[in-house]
Amino acid sequence: MIELLLLFVGTALVNNFVLVRFLGICPFLGGSKKVEISLGMGGATTFVMALSAIAAWFIQNYILEPFGVSRFLQYVAFILVISCLVQLVEIILKKISPALYDALGIFLPLITTNCAILGLALYIPIKNYSLIESAVFGIGAGVGFTLALTIMAGIREELEFSDIPAAFQGAGVTLLTAGILSMVFLGFAGLIAM
Amino acid sequence: MKIWAEFIKGLWKENPVFRQLMGMCPTLAVTNAAINGLAMGLATLFVLLCSNVIVALIKHLIPDKVRIPSYIIIIATFVTIADLFLAAFFPEIQRVLGLFIPLIVVNCIILGRAEAFASKNNVKFALIDALGMGIGFTWALTLLGIIRELLGMGTVFGLQVMGTNFTPWIIFILPPGAFLTLGVLLGIINTFSNKKTTKTSCH
Amino acid sequence: MNEQRRMILVLSTIAIASGLILAGVFQWTKPKMDEVTQERQKTAILEVLPGAVSYKEVGNNEMVFEGLNGNNQRVGIAFIAEGGGFQGDISMMVGMDVDERKLTGMTVLSHLETPGLGARIEEESFRKQFVEKSVDDPFVASEDIDAITGATISSNAVSNILRESISRIIEDDQLGGSQ
Repeated sequence: MIELLLLFVGTALVNNFVLVRFLGICPFLGGSKKVEISLGMGGATTFVMALSAIAAWFIQNYILEPFGVSRFLQYVAFILVISCLVQLVEIILKKISPALYDALGIFLPLITTNCAILGLALYIPIKNYSLIESAVFGIGAGVGFTLALTIMAGIREELEFSDIPAAFQGAGVTLLTAGILSMVFLGFAGLIAM
Repeated sequence: MKIWAEFIKGLWKENPVFRQLMGMCPTLAVTNAAINGLAMGLATLFVLLCSNVIVALIKHLIPDKVRIPSYIIIIATFVTIADLFLAAFFPEIQRVLGLFIPLIVVNCIILGRAEAFASKNNVKFALIDALGMGIGFTWALTLLGIIRELLGMGTVFGLQVMGTNFTPWIIFILPPGAFLTLGVLLGIINTFSNKKTTKTSCH
Repeated sequence: MNEQRRMILVLSTIAIASGLILAGVFQWTKPKMDEVTQERQKTAILEVLPGAVSYKEVGNNEMVFEGLNGNNQRVGIAFIAEGGGFQGDISMMVGMDVDERKLTGMTVLSHLETPGLGARIEEESFRKQFVEKSVDDPFVASEDIDAITGATISSNAVSNILRESISRIIEDDQLGGSQ
């Protein structure tokens, strides 16, 4: 149990997917200025990540490995499953929360091309996680992603009132902010020996 | 000439990294050394060329509703081919680039060009477009890699450039350095262009 | 052909074509990839067992090897030691002279440590302290092992991994070998 907790904290903070592993940068950079929308986006992504982690575990251990095709069919199999999962989540979200569905708009299908999801799926066979560990890993990654996104949204809200030179507006200042955030997260290094 | 215009746009005006802010994940992750940036750029160029050409060739055969999944399978196939090829013939590069080779599959540049250009143009133009975008991506990554390696290790492509008195600024080969270098580069480029890059075009 | 059937047909065709092409490319590159892996392993083993010119696996353990000199006599064993490091797993090839109970070398096979800091476990200056080191030493960083400045965790990891692997190897007594 304690190992699972350490895994969760390690994935969400120490090896944060966005600020340390460089996964999920595109939505991170293009993300919203509103904390609520970032939380919603993060939540949807976390859900897809948890499902993808579990799906990846099953596909790797019950299909790819037994047939010996992992080395050359893994990428195709994983990305196909991920795009199906995203479609599924879209349909579910439309049913249970049309408001959130509309708010997220184009960002929902874009979750498919979020490298954090494919990256997550690919890590699982590499690290040889069990089913439970995979699920925790997926949730931890999603929480870390949501954390990074929400912090950035909060900072962006504040930056609205600052006088940023034209050349750095938008992506420029976001990247510089991300650099400082990344330095902060480096401070978690050594918190847990992974 | 139209061909030239289609080619050159990827190099500067519509540069995938500096103007369109696409493919950010590999841009930040593998540019801790110049050779890594170059290798990733070339691998992406290969996949971009192949996928653009194939999509342009069979675009009429694919029903509209399944075009995205179809493109994805095609792209993932070429990425796997690139990965296997590198593992067999350039194993050191494959080891360094690691996880980011399969992540070329979700590099928005490739799906983006397939969707925005290759599915609407003939093979010749799709090829030229891929070439321009791919080379544009490659030089951007290589530049980033050179800067980070120079400041972070004192070398460029493994060759010692800075003198022995130089204390490397390790931060540049660590994650924060990636963000900071790209941010500053973007600021510099925006200062000299009329049109500023503010948002990512990952749509 | 109605729309749904066409969609399924096109997707299936592309998927099957993809599978076949990839299987083919894999078959073509596999020999070379296996060769690369073998080369890497051989280089590592010969590096940590000076005097060895060839090697063979011991028992059914794919992590322990016996180094042989030109006369087919055993010069020592080499084993793969791995464990968690700072950023990910560290994997090392370690050479041991069984009779003299000391290490003959260590080389890092793979790691994900921080470049410029933890990654310096690859450097000669760090690795050479393991040559001629007695296996009965405590293997504790900053005590009998020189740690890397600024890379305490990576240095600790290497010490811990070595200590555990060495005691396991000696316990297992895979040291019958070929006479």
